[in-house]
Amino acid sequence: MRDESLLLRHLSLLLVAGFVLVPLVTVAIGGFKTMGELRVNPFGLPESWFPDNYLSSLFSQRLWLSLGNSVLLALGTVVLTLIVSTMAAFAFAQIHFLGKKLLFSYFLMGLLFPAATAILPLFIRVRNLGLLDTYWGVILPQTAFGLGMAILLLWGFFRQLPEALWDAATIDGCGYARFLWHVVLPLSRPILATVAVFSLVHSWNSYLLPLTLLNSSRSYPWTLTIMDFAGEYSTDWPMILAFITLTLVPAVVFFLVAQKQIVAGLTSGAVKG
Amino acid sequence: MSGASTLPAGVALGTAERRRGRRRAALSRTATAGGFLLPATLLFTLFVVLPVVEAAWYSFYRWNGYGTPTNWVGWRNYELLFSNAVFASAATNTMMVVAVSLLLQLPLALWLAMLVARGGRGSTIFRTIFFLPYVLGEVAAGLIWRFIFDGNVGLIAAAARALGFEPPFLLADPDMAIYTILAVVVWKYFGFHMMIYVAGLQDIPRELKEAAAIDGASRWQSFRYVILPMLWPAIRISIFFSVVGSLQLFDVVMPLTGGGPSNATHTVVSFQYTFGITRMNIGFGSAVGVVLFLACVGFTLIYRRFVLRERD
Amino acid sequence: MRMWLRSAVLCTALMVSSLPAFAQTTIRWFISESTPETTVWQRDVARRYQEANPNVRFNIEVMSGEPYKAKLTTSLQSNDRPHLIYTWGGGVMFAQVEAGLLQDITDRIRGPWADSLNQGAVEALSYRGRVYGAPSHQTMVALFYNRRLLAQAGVEPESLRTWDGMLEAVRKLRAAGIQPFSAGGSDKWPLNMIWASLSLRVGGRQAFEAALARTGQGFNGPDFLRASELFKQLIDLQPFQRGFLGDTAPQAAGQFGDGRVALQVMGNWFVNTQRTQSANQQGVPDADFGWLPFPEVPGGRAASNDVVGGVNGFLVTRGAPPEAVDFLRFYTSPAVQREAAERGFFIPASRGAGEALQNRMLREIAGYLSRAAYVQNFYDQMLGPSVGRVANDTSADLAVGRITPRQVGRLIQDAWELER
Repeated sequence: MRDESLLLRHLSLLLVAGFVLVPLVTVAIGGFKTMGELRVNPFGLPESWFPDNYLSSLFSQRLWLSLGNSVLLALGTVVLTLIVSTMAAFAFAQIHFLGKKLLFSYFLMGLLFPAATAILPLFIRVRNLGLLDTYWGVILPQTAFGLGMAILLLWGFFRQLPEALWDAATIDGCGYARFLWHVVLPLSRPILATVAVFSLVHSWNSYLLPLTLLNSSRSYPWTLTIMDFAGEYSTDWPMILAFITLTLVPAVVFFLVAQKQIVAGLTSGAVKG
Repeated sequence: MSGASTLPAGVALGTAERRRGRRRAALSRTATAGGFLLPATLLFTLFVVLPVVEAAWYSFYRWNGYGTPTNWVGWRNYELLFSNAVFASAATNTMMVVAVSLLLQLPLALWLAMLVARGGRGSTIFRTIFFLPYVLGEVAAGLIWRFIFDGNVGLIAAAARALGFEPPFLLADPDMAIYTILAVVVWKYFGFHMMIYVAGLQDIPRELKEAAAIDGASRWQSFRYVILPMLWPAIRISIFFSVVGSLQLFDVVMPLTGGGPSNATHTVVSFQYTFGITRMNIGFGSAVGVVLFLACVGFTLIYRRFVLRERD
Repeated sequence: MRMWLRSAVLCTALMVSSLPAFAQTTIRWFISESTPETTVWQRDVARRYQEANPNVRFNIEVMSGEPYKAKLTTSLQSNDRPHLIYTWGGGVMFAQVEAGLLQDITDRIRGPWADSLNQGAVEALSYRGRVYGAPSHQTMVALFYNRRLLAQAGVEPESLRTWDGMLEAVRKLRAAGIQPFSAGGSDKWPLNMIWASLSLRVGGRQAFEAALARTGQGFNGPDFLRASELFKQLIDLQPFQRGFLGDTAPQAAGQFGDGRVALQVMGNWFVNTQRTQSANQQGVPDADFGWLPFPEVPGGRAASNDVVGGVNGFLVTRGAPPEAVDFLRFYTSPAVQREAAERGFFIPASRGAGEALQNRMLREIAGYLSRAAYVQNFYDQMLGPSVGRVANDTSADLAVGRITPRQVGRLIQDAWELER
């Protein structure tokens, strides 16, 4: 009875794992096939490994340019989010001022609706600011739409810092800014990492904002380039599969290296919120 | 950064001075808070709040984005929207995504969480595998599955051929294509929700479960009366993410079907992109945005009324 | 930090102040719809122009058809909008003119430049008597066939000259186990091309012009209904490849080029795309590859040499530097266009350049086109961005059986009336 249920448990887990992994593995291997072989043998290992698709993608300026753009967009978003939301969350958690509750719920509204609700006015605004087709034109709205979540996470953490810490700091005559920098931030590394991971994953994978706000292919992040690429090589699946696989490598590597932080980051805020 | 402090520390002050000082301190506190909050408020107002308000405003105009909107058309954009067959199907599709996320994906995630929450090497590996799709970009996921579903070279086609069937062209079939999107949504996000539940399950004290077992509760009873209530905060948040995420589904749709075949698989946002953005129908597209916004607000109200209620 | 900022500002100031010393103009050129070989050649033309004009730089963006159309609308709103944009003319261009996006180059183009181009092609890039760009090539819809596959099914190519003959051929091909047609149904316009060609055959130019002028029943009238019914006759024979609604135009071209389907209705660029999209990059062997004008229908009002086709070229956007216009003049000049003709990229709109065409099929089509009584621009382009899209959608919906022939005209007419 126990053995049976254990077996059943493992079988179901393996089945679901197959559902997750088979597409990924097929895609990665498919990049090593020729079109002719893909047609007759999409499942198995290639009869002879055909590296040309991977090599031509690896040596294409396009792949590296788009990954570079994604890195820039992600860095900009993460850094700006951290700076801006830390300052705001700190003020909400530690400073008593008029209209605090009101302003706080103002920011929490940001949790409710996605960028898509305002994408057209956003486009007009970014255009009028002359930021269309610039990195800032994507970074600023992207950061703004992530602020609600970031502030909520940081505020939750700052609020729990012991009062005594604060008293000790004021007696020292320490200004707010210095207190934040020297006392709060060093204690807040885990939550900062959480927020950073959260906005990093969002920025790295973001599609609608860059699609609407960027025009020239030289500034495209990988999400746009891969779509262009798939459109151009529409019939050449092995080529597309190789390109997809290569764009996924950074995400998979990052995931395996920083898995703990990512999981903690993405779920901790969730469970507490 | 110098170590010198700006205020002399530990200086004794008189009472009057102290009171005045307190008022000054309150003022300076508010000023400081203002300084800390300025960048966030500015960014948030400029790029989130104002655009949302503007969407409502623009939705009453017919406007291609040049100059200022002058062609006031009243409710016409909304009338067009609600009489548009493609929008009706986009809204239905979006509700289907919400339903599948809630009714299929969340139970699946919960069940898997129960299976892998116990820890141990095997569980950790499975957790990692299940969570993996979440970190991969939606666009890549969509393309991967376009390949899997492709009727000529895809996996499904190959499997069908191996079993002696005609390979199905799921992505080209207006009645079937939406199910491919649902499948990819589950594939992409169930691991995320599972992780939320795993975190929630780990917070449940072991003694509680043991106590239930001692009391002779069956596994189902202990799940229903002990685990499920304790897990409620996690479920609550997972409901929130799933619904808000489903309402804005776009990134998966574009690479997978682009809203086709024959407009059968649009979601609200892909409809907005296709019919509003790419044609610079600012007014019409904004009306879609407003409807989406209202859907989000409506959901939040329901959520507060029915989901959050049980805690308070 | 502050030091760094100050030096950065200083550097920028220096750079800006020294700019006029080597004043440079960058021409932003948006190209769509070309084969990789054409792109290579176009870049080379730009390079040569740059060598002759060292103060000019190029910023070239190449996109395939559908992504290009989607991206162009937003690009045109940018401060860094492209200077030269690829166009199909028609209602999309009119809308761009009315939005104040284009530059009137009438005064520049009149004279020897315009005289070197086909007059009709220049008119196609005009709106209310003003010219906004220069044509580069002309296109025409035809029925392409694979002679070897037809022969296997016992079909005589000549029988494809009439619609009924073509339907019979489809039946024979199916009976012989050969896929009759391929079509890029996910792009939709390839299907609309068939419907538009039928509409032209049935109602002639008058029907479409009357509908555009909003006289009579418009698209809801009997001519367009008849065209939809004829299209439905074809659809009922299940002529297209399985999963055709999921395939793009290039994919459908590749299937023909691989020798897997016998027929395709497409513009003359298909001569090249069926080759570049085929698995072996060879396409259908020349001896097997043939074309015919779109089939005639019984009782049709069009002249037999009326064709659906179009003019493509580049429009000059508002704010584009004079250098962009000058480059366009260079690009559309007979000498440059002859190169394109020699390499078989397209049928040039430049007078006489077509004589340089080496490709047999393109030569034949160019000859036919030059004798055409009337060239009907593609419906989706003529109807403008919104209605054109509806027209394309209805063709796809009809092809998959989601709407009836009667609904096709109704839906287009409804959308057209909304445009008022």
